[in-house]
Amino acid sequence: MTTLSEQSVHPGGQRSVQSAGELPAVEYGLIRAHVLASLVTLVLSVLFGILVATKFTFPEFLGGHGWLTWGRLRYNHTQGIFFGWMGNAFLAFSYYVVPRLANRPVLSLKLGWFLFWIWNFAVVLPGWVLVAAGFSQPLEWAEFPLVVDAFVVVAIILMVFQFVLPFLKARLSDLYVSAWYIIGGIIFTMLAYPVGNFVPELVPGARGAAFSGLWIHDAIGMFVTPFALAIAYYVIPATTGRPIFSHFLSMVGFWLLFFTYPLNGTHHYVYSAIPMAAQKGAIVASVYLGMDVILVVSNLLLSLRGSSGIASKDVPLRFVWFGVVSYLLVSLQGSVQALMPVNRFIHFTDWVIGHSHFAMIGFASFLALGGIGHLWQRIPGTRYNERAMNWSFWLLAGGLTLMIADLTIAGLVEAQVWQSSAPWIDSVRAVAGYWLVRAFSGLPILAGFVLFWISLLTGPQVAAESTSVVRRKAAENVSALDGDTSIAQWQPSFAGRFSYVHALIFGAGVGFFALSFLVLAILPGKELAAEIKQVAPVTMPTLTASEQRGRVIYGREGCAYCHTQQIRSLVADVRRFGAPTEAWETKYDYPQLWGTRRIGPDLSREFNLRPRDWQLTHLYNPRLVVRDSVMPPYPWLFSGSANQPTQEGLDLLAYLQSLGRARQLSGFDQQTQAPSVHSATSDMAMASEASARATPPTVPIAMMGGYSDSAPVLHPASNPDDLQDEVRRGATLFAANCASCHGAAGRGDGKASVSLLPRPADLTAARFSDERLSSVLWNGVAGSAMPPWRQLPTEDMRALVAYIHGLHAPSAAASTQEATSLNEGKFLFADNCAICHGDTGAGNGPAAGALAPSPTNFRLKKPTEERAWEVLGNGVPGTAMPPWQGQLNADERHALVEFVRTLYGTPQENSEQ
Amino acid sequence: MINLIVIVISAAMFALVLVWWRWPAFRAWIEAPKYFMLRQECRFDDQLKG
Repeated sequence: MTTLSEQSVHPGGQRSVQSAGELPAVEYGLIRAHVLASLVTLVLSVLFGILVATKFTFPEFLGGHGWLTWGRLRYNHTQGIFFGWMGNAFLAFSYYVVPRLANRPVLSLKLGWFLFWIWNFAVVLPGWVLVAAGFSQPLEWAEFPLVVDAFVVVAIILMVFQFVLPFLKARLSDLYVSAWYIIGGIIFTMLAYPVGNFVPELVPGARGAAFSGLWIHDAIGMFVTPFALAIAYYVIPATTGRPIFSHFLSMVGFWLLFFTYPLNGTHHYVYSAIPMAAQKGAIVASVYLGMDVILVVSNLLLSLRGSSGIASKDVPLRFVWFGVVSYLLVSLQGSVQALMPVNRFIHFTDWVIGHSHFAMIGFASFLALGGIGHLWQRIPGTRYNERAMNWSFWLLAGGLTLMIADLTIAGLVEAQVWQSSAPWIDSVRAVAGYWLVRAFSGLPILAGFVLFWISLLTGPQVAAESTSVVRRKAAENVSALDGDTSIAQWQPSFAGRFSYVHALIFGAGVGFFALSFLVLAILPGKELAAEIKQVAPVTMPTLTASEQRGRVIYGREGCAYCHTQQIRSLVADVRRFGAPTEAWETKYDYPQLWGTRRIGPDLSREFNLRPRDWQLTHLYNPRLVVRDSVMPPYPWLFSGSANQPTQEGLDLLAYLQSLGRARQLSGFDQQTQAPSVHSATSDMAMASEASARATPPTVPIAMMGGYSDSAPVLHPASNPDDLQDEVRRGATLFAANCASCHGAAGRGDGKASVSLLPRPADLTAARFSDERLSSVLWNGVAGSAMPPWRQLPTEDMRALVAYIHGLHAPSAAASTQEATSLNEGKFLFADNCAICHGDTGAGNGPAAGALAPSPTNFRLKKPTEERAWEVLGNGVPGTAMPPWQGQLNADERHALVEFVRTLYGTPQENSEQ
Repeated sequence: MINLIVIVISAAMFALVLVWWRWPAFRAWIEAPKYFMLRQECRFDDQLKG
């Protein structure tokens, strides 16, 4: 009879084993070092995260210096979690478990310390410093700069030698599922990392995004998930002393994971310019993955049958149990999110941020903590403080639950606002409270992590007896197996046939991995390249040197993490931002900056949308022009004020103003496209909606500037009660949307006015007609910082008209000037002003068409005497209106003032524009 | 291509289940590592406890 204990020296085995009584060395020093590094980097990374979350509520908090700006902290938060926390934790667990599972030591102690040094002092630490200093890569989960990426690749190759080689010497039929996950995690990460981090630098735009999408998911699926599941599959049986429910199911789950996970990536770009076949493939794979997770989690939970007592007492096991349940929930959530009807609604919102925190904390971190707690109790000289670890568990569970619930609801609120025609800033205002709660929820999570660390440092010095019962049970289980004759019978005859099955299927997994790049990146890339070649305008301009530098600044400050440059083929996107982004528009984008999140609006159509001084003021301090903006200020791009940008500020401005230029200048939207050019994406997303057909992508949309004749004339209510209500509502709207430029009292002296040229209008210094106010609200004022507000509901614009009417000081008495004076004014006007303002003062003189802002239409705007006098004397800086006090004497200017004030309200014979 | 992937994955999984159902010896063989892991755990525990 052959027993399991004899398997290790079975003649068919190809390894040189330790002798029966000799155990391979375990590098306990390396375990302790990696555990310590993991917890140090974890706490720092979570601190970065809390700062990032706090800045949503207090955008200027620590915002005076680039090193602490939102974007760079955001990069360091996720990269710190990925490399510092997860990487070190998984390395620690690998040092603990590989000698046990391979029955061999890891390759080399020296190599181990070299790997530790590289991982922490050539990857994590310099990565953080370089990102904070402004050297980064604006690609999700790949933010560390390329020079750091090179060390990551070296480290992963070293991990192959250190951890995979011992398994290669072991017999395949002995390989436990945790070993497979460790092997798979290292090998697949080694393959995926360069593709996700280097290729988007070489393949531009939409084509590069296809590769980025793969890495976004592979980072979780190929690195985090395998190691986390390796921990779950190890800790559960090791703690309970009972084997897992089914090793067969665990291997099916393993293979299915590596077959389907790589195929998921493109589900981050549903409704994008990436070919629909690739999108559909990713969605199908996402559903498959959900099924795989059900299988894996069922197997793990069944392995805990009858062990509820142990799970309630053993805190590391409870961490693992929580992680396993989270894995089920977050994976099913992910599968559902990939489905188009859901994705169109929640993508880019905080829902997804909740999902990623659920995955990285609820699933991966809980399992990593469980693994660390488990091994800490079992290595020489270390034990954990059970009470502290127990508190850590509950703090983490409570904080995480609050965070997930909060972000999920916030995402739904954002999605709801985005589906409406409300201004973008309304979505920011709507979730402001949720962001505060989210920042607060980070505190118990941070406390939980710190307490976990404390629990490791404050444990008893003497080994506890708690494992003895479990060990005895495990021994009984092994003894029972030793007596299993069925095993004995098949072992010599049958094992040989299957000894290569695992290797074969592992090879198939690598094949599927390669297939994922073929199906989701290479083939779509070729299709996109052909489409770009066919469609892209021959004269498509490249970025200037300044714009190119601005693009780098845009990337380094993390702008792409709040602003997408990807208008999806969805009605809500098209209505709000314009025509869907075409692949050719991104043909010069190295790397792509599509983004996967929207805090602020999409910027794909920024060309000609906002004037220069508005952009600069917004960059200097966003709240000067958008009162409730949560965008961080960028004072280091200026020399003390908004109208003194540094070269970097000008470069960023140049880049922002180039976005969408190629599209607008090419006349692409006016061309008739061949049917093949229209992607299936557009058809699928929009054809079924009547509103979509009624909103072709080329019509002006809510956020776009440009004059529209369709501006309605909004008359305030005639009923005094209704008018009072409108004025009250208008006051609120004015305070929220207009006061930052026009000032609280409408005098044109808001905080932003200092850096805007021409200055915002003094609304108290003129009487405006309903038509004029309606037109300005609808169209904005070309050549000034006044944007169009037509995205506001009509009743809101009407309320603003009513309120602004009330700002005007009581009308001056009708002109008392004599007719001779008016006649003089009329002649002076005809000689000096009509060329711009038109013969009748309607602002439509021969020169008006070339001027922006347009000359004043005195039929629709009646300035006060004081204002007209001031303008005549000093001109209007930032416009074509010159000072006239050198050319006209005081009497003449008085005559002109009186004359132009008589023009108001007379019928127009033609349009002012 | 998508259909092909779905068919291949489904067929592979079905084949695995078929093998598992058809050959009991395969079941025993594929389940063996979970006992090996436990035995190793006991050996290491014993060593640490002297």
